[in-house]
Amino acid sequence: MRKRLSNRRGAAGLLAMALVVASCSSSGTATPKVTGPLRIGISLSLTGDFADPGKAAQKGYELWRDTVNAKGGILGRQVELKIVDDASSPDQVVTNYTNLIDKDKVDLVFGPFSSLLTVPSSAVAKRFGYSFIEPAGGGPAVFDQKLDNLFFVQPATVVAGGEVFAKWVLSLPADQRPKTAAYPSLDDPFASPIADRIRQLFEAAGIKTVYNETYSAETTDLSPVIAKVAAANPDVVVAGTQSVDAYAQVKAMVEQKFSPKMLYMSNGANSPVEFPDKVGKGNVAGIFSTSAWLYRSDEPGNKDFVAAYIKKFGGAGSDIDETSAQAYACGQLLEAVAAKTSKVDNATIISSLHQGAWPTLMGQISWDAIGQPQGSTDLVQWIDGSLQVVFPTDQAKHQATVTKPAWGG
Amino acid sequence: MHLLVQSIIVGVLTGGVYALMATGQTLIFGVMRVINVAQGAMVILAAYLSSSLFSSFGIDPFLSILITAPILFVLGFTIHATFLRRLRPEQNELSLLIMFAVALGIEGVLGLAYSTTYRSIQTGYVNRSFTVAGYHVALVRLLAFGLSAVILVGLFLLLNRSRFGRSVRATVQNPTSARLLGVEPTRVAAIGFGLGAATAAAAGAVYGLVYPFNGGSHYDLISRLLSIVMLGGLGSLGGSVIAALVMGVAESVVAANVSPIWSSFTFFAVLLAVLVFRPRGLFGVAQRGAL
Repeated sequence: MRKRLSNRRGAAGLLAMALVVASCSSSGTATPKVTGPLRIGISLSLTGDFADPGKAAQKGYELWRDTVNAKGGILGRQVELKIVDDASSPDQVVTNYTNLIDKDKVDLVFGPFSSLLTVPSSAVAKRFGYSFIEPAGGGPAVFDQKLDNLFFVQPATVVAGGEVFAKWVLSLPADQRPKTAAYPSLDDPFASPIADRIRQLFEAAGIKTVYNETYSAETTDLSPVIAKVAAANPDVVVAGTQSVDAYAQVKAMVEQKFSPKMLYMSNGANSPVEFPDKVGKGNVAGIFSTSAWLYRSDEPGNKDFVAAYIKKFGGAGSDIDETSAQAYACGQLLEAVAAKTSKVDNATIISSLHQGAWPTLMGQISWDAIGQPQGSTDLVQWIDGSLQVVFPTDQAKHQATVTKPAWGG
Repeated sequence: MHLLVQSIIVGVLTGGVYALMATGQTLIFGVMRVINVAQGAMVILAAYLSSSLFSSFGIDPFLSILITAPILFVLGFTIHATFLRRLRPEQNELSLLIMFAVALGIEGVLGLAYSTTYRSIQTGYVNRSFTVAGYHVALVRLLAFGLSAVILVGLFLLLNRSRFGRSVRATVQNPTSARLLGVEPTRVAAIGFGLGAATAAAAGAVYGLVYPFNGGSHYDLISRLLSIVMLGGLGSLGGSVIAALVMGVAESVVAANVSPIWSSFTFFAVLLAVLVFRPRGLFGVAQRGAL
């Protein structure tokens, strides 16, 4: 969940969106073809800051296309993807979706990578009456738009992502619960709000806050922050993190020989490959995080997805970027709507997805009126060198380790 | 009190890492009056090279400096020979743009070669620390601090005790007179630029051990390096070391004892205050050529 939203870029994107939408105000609603191949337009960050996750999303989308076409397509129509590069630019993404819908007349669109790009592009889709099934825009700014055509294809919003950890802690017997907590968090809409939400739940349950500070994205060295956290000696550290800062926090804790009884990191620690690579395999044991998708999941279609992915791209299941899975799930939803309604037009997709829960490889997902998923992420923990789902109980594959083992060094 | 002392220790050691990075920047400015905004990109390039040498051949990052320093020297020498040598004295401002283009070029090549995924160098000792009187000292940062001191002493001796150093100082003070005495200013400048780039090799190895990095990491780096060089006094090697320590300690103390959100701002507040009262920086000199 590497999503960033800078106010500056966001403002630039919104301005560009406004200009483009204004210029299109007389163009009217597109009228897509209803026969022939089903053409789906997608703008992805194939270059620029989001190039890596953008390419991961491309893999997911294209894998789904190949899979569904091998089964005969959707309602007998072969799926064609028109993927264009937005260079990670909120300006370009507006141009791309406007062209895809108004010039190329694609039948449907899927979302780009990141909340930064989802905000302006979903508004373009709304303007043309298109549904906007999107895999990677779960930040508050996306839902502040209150769009009824948008569906975020993950189990929970970013802010609600950490609630599952609070629920697990509060489910423990009283003598095992932490008494004090520290919240060192990155000043980022995808990091600190998660820790804030957990802090509210903990404080309401009587867990005392002994440290609560945010640091800026420019803070590369977190040793001083951890020095103060260590001085406060909390039972649990709840870190609102992205990726690099999560690695820096762990390294600083190891260097300062500070090992809290429990450590939760909202992001960064949920990467099966990157996290142990950056902090050392011996230093991951017992760390909690949350995950929208794990390659070992038994959810509908997941095993087929993982097998198809490895067959097409090689590597192992643990190498798969979760963005690929989330992009693939967007296609799964389309298949499900078509199977249930025998239609794949935008109005049918929007009205259908607002009713009931829909199967994806991340589990059943349902949405509220503005596209916020109503489910829960899984609480994962590093146990025996790999990430294991430990909560909620009905999803758990392993018993949680309540007290974090000491650092490996 | 314990927290204050611990944060000062962390700050001094972090300052050592930055002093190492700022050394080349200072040298290049001192010799050529070129603000090398590509120094951060060169540090990151060196970090990637050290990372690759470690992951592919098992060469320790500190040892890899012996391989990466000549590579960076050649790169710096080539950049000077290809772009900067052609500039006339009145076009010196263009060097800023040229070096910015070089930085973007290095970032682009690194993005293509290594993707934008963050990397770090994980040796067996990378997270090791020891405790003295209850205070924690990170081994890698201490080694970086020592390496920084060794390189600075080496540069000092090179510039003050060698024929090349006299040529450099002569070139900086009066290129025309230097030429009359048989010094070739263009060659001296190219070697000086190469040396400045070569110090990035040492800085890169250390940076890769301490921090995760990707091709874009040089943007954060260069703003700090330029600030250190300005605070120390443009072109003053000793000044840049003191400035790096001031930055490290100020940020660390504020982050640990006040709030991390103010830590970066603290250094810039110190920088502004110094520049108001002493525009040439802490150790800046009016005379050209004093390194």
